[in-house]
Amino acid sequence: MNTTQHSEVILRRTLIATAVASILLAAACTTAPVKPDGAAEARVKLTQLQSDPNLASRAAVAIKDADAAVRAAEQPEVNKELAAHRVYLADRKVDTAKALAETRLAEDQRAAITAERDSARLDARTHEADAAKGQAATARAEGAEQKVAADQARSDANTAQLAAASSEQQAAELQRQIDVLQAKPTDRGLVLTLGDVLFTSGRADLKPGATGNLNKLVAFLDKYPDRSVSIQGYTDSVGSEDYNQGLSERRANSVKSYLAGQGIGSTRLSASGKGRNDPVADNDSAAGRQQNRRVEVVISNPPAALR
Amino acid sequence: MALGFTGVLLLAACASTPPAPTANLQAAQQAIAAAERSEAARYAPGELSEAHTKLALADTAVTERKMVVAEHFADQSRAEAELASAKTSAAKANAVNDEMKRSNGTLIDEMKRGSGDKP
Repeated sequence: MNTTQHSEVILRRTLIATAVASILLAAACTTAPVKPDGAAEARVKLTQLQSDPNLASRAAVAIKDADAAVRAAEQPEVNKELAAHRVYLADRKVDTAKALAETRLAEDQRAAITAERDSARLDARTHEADAAKGQAATARAEGAEQKVAADQARSDANTAQLAAASSEQQAAELQRQIDVLQAKPTDRGLVLTLGDVLFTSGRADLKPGATGNLNKLVAFLDKYPDRSVSIQGYTDSVGSEDYNQGLSERRANSVKSYLAGQGIGSTRLSASGKGRNDPVADNDSAAGRQQNRRVEVVISNPPAALR
Repeated sequence: MALGFTGVLLLAACASTPPAPTANLQAAQQAIAAAERSEAARYAPGELSEAHTKLALADTAVTERKMVVAEHFADQSRAEAELASAKTSAAKANAVNDEMKRSNGTLIDEMKRGSGDKP
């Protein structure tokens, strides 16, 4: 056997050995192509997620990852442990993508819920104003609860002053008139607080039928012609300062026009807007804001007569 | 000689021992830590517990030098922890929405009650 023949024999043997090795490898690592158990279920869940219009677009990256994991799980695999592992990963990734999409959906829905809340708040404010029409007296009494004692003391002092300065009878009559008006004696004079009952929310024109208390004021002013009134509009802190200032002025002017229209001389009337200033209650609560939305009519004490 | 060659091929194909899957184990630990920070114990306790179990199995496999198995358990632990985090964020987001809806409902109820008192 020469060298060439010897080499050929070795080569042939090597080729045979390689072929055997290849067969062994093939036998070791592949069999007939069958999708692993569980892969189909993962695919079904993924397809459901992908076809859900609320979720499919909300976790695009995670869904793409899940899709790749499901495709890997669907590969035929003779190694049962590896196949089960891939199915496990695919299943969890689909669930993860779904949960992430649900998170985004919930976040996106918040804008709508917020809009709903704003609309409910607006309705509530409108209703508040409407409901207050019939409840103004009660609300005022409730709101003033803490001040009742102080007011009573001041009232007593004022009454005493009045009694000292004029006849017993005059004072009693004035007090009766004040009681009718539900005005409160203060350092500024008698203050008659008109709740926001006179006006539709956001508007400055007087509501028809809301003028009962104003007519009592007209009667009072007719009886005591030496007294003049200063009409002051107030708002709560909701909305811009400019808006509230303007609204409070227009409301004060509405009351002034009404009184002038009822025959009170315009020289006895002045109107001004205070906007959100000098709140009488906390603006953080609906009840507090309602108390702050008001028109105060300050009836001046007469120059000297009753002092 | 030919037999030796075949043996090497077989070894290379099916019996090599890779190093411990350190990166996979770390990734799983980090995913679990992230889930715990997001309060997964409260919102996805089942998934979080499963992630811990898988990580323990991965550590055991490493000590037994079953590195492929260890890598699989580590990856499963990470996938489970990421699922726990995702479920937690979904539960929290829905809880926020529920609370907002509840407070809207209260506002609307108050409004209805208010108008109901109207004479």
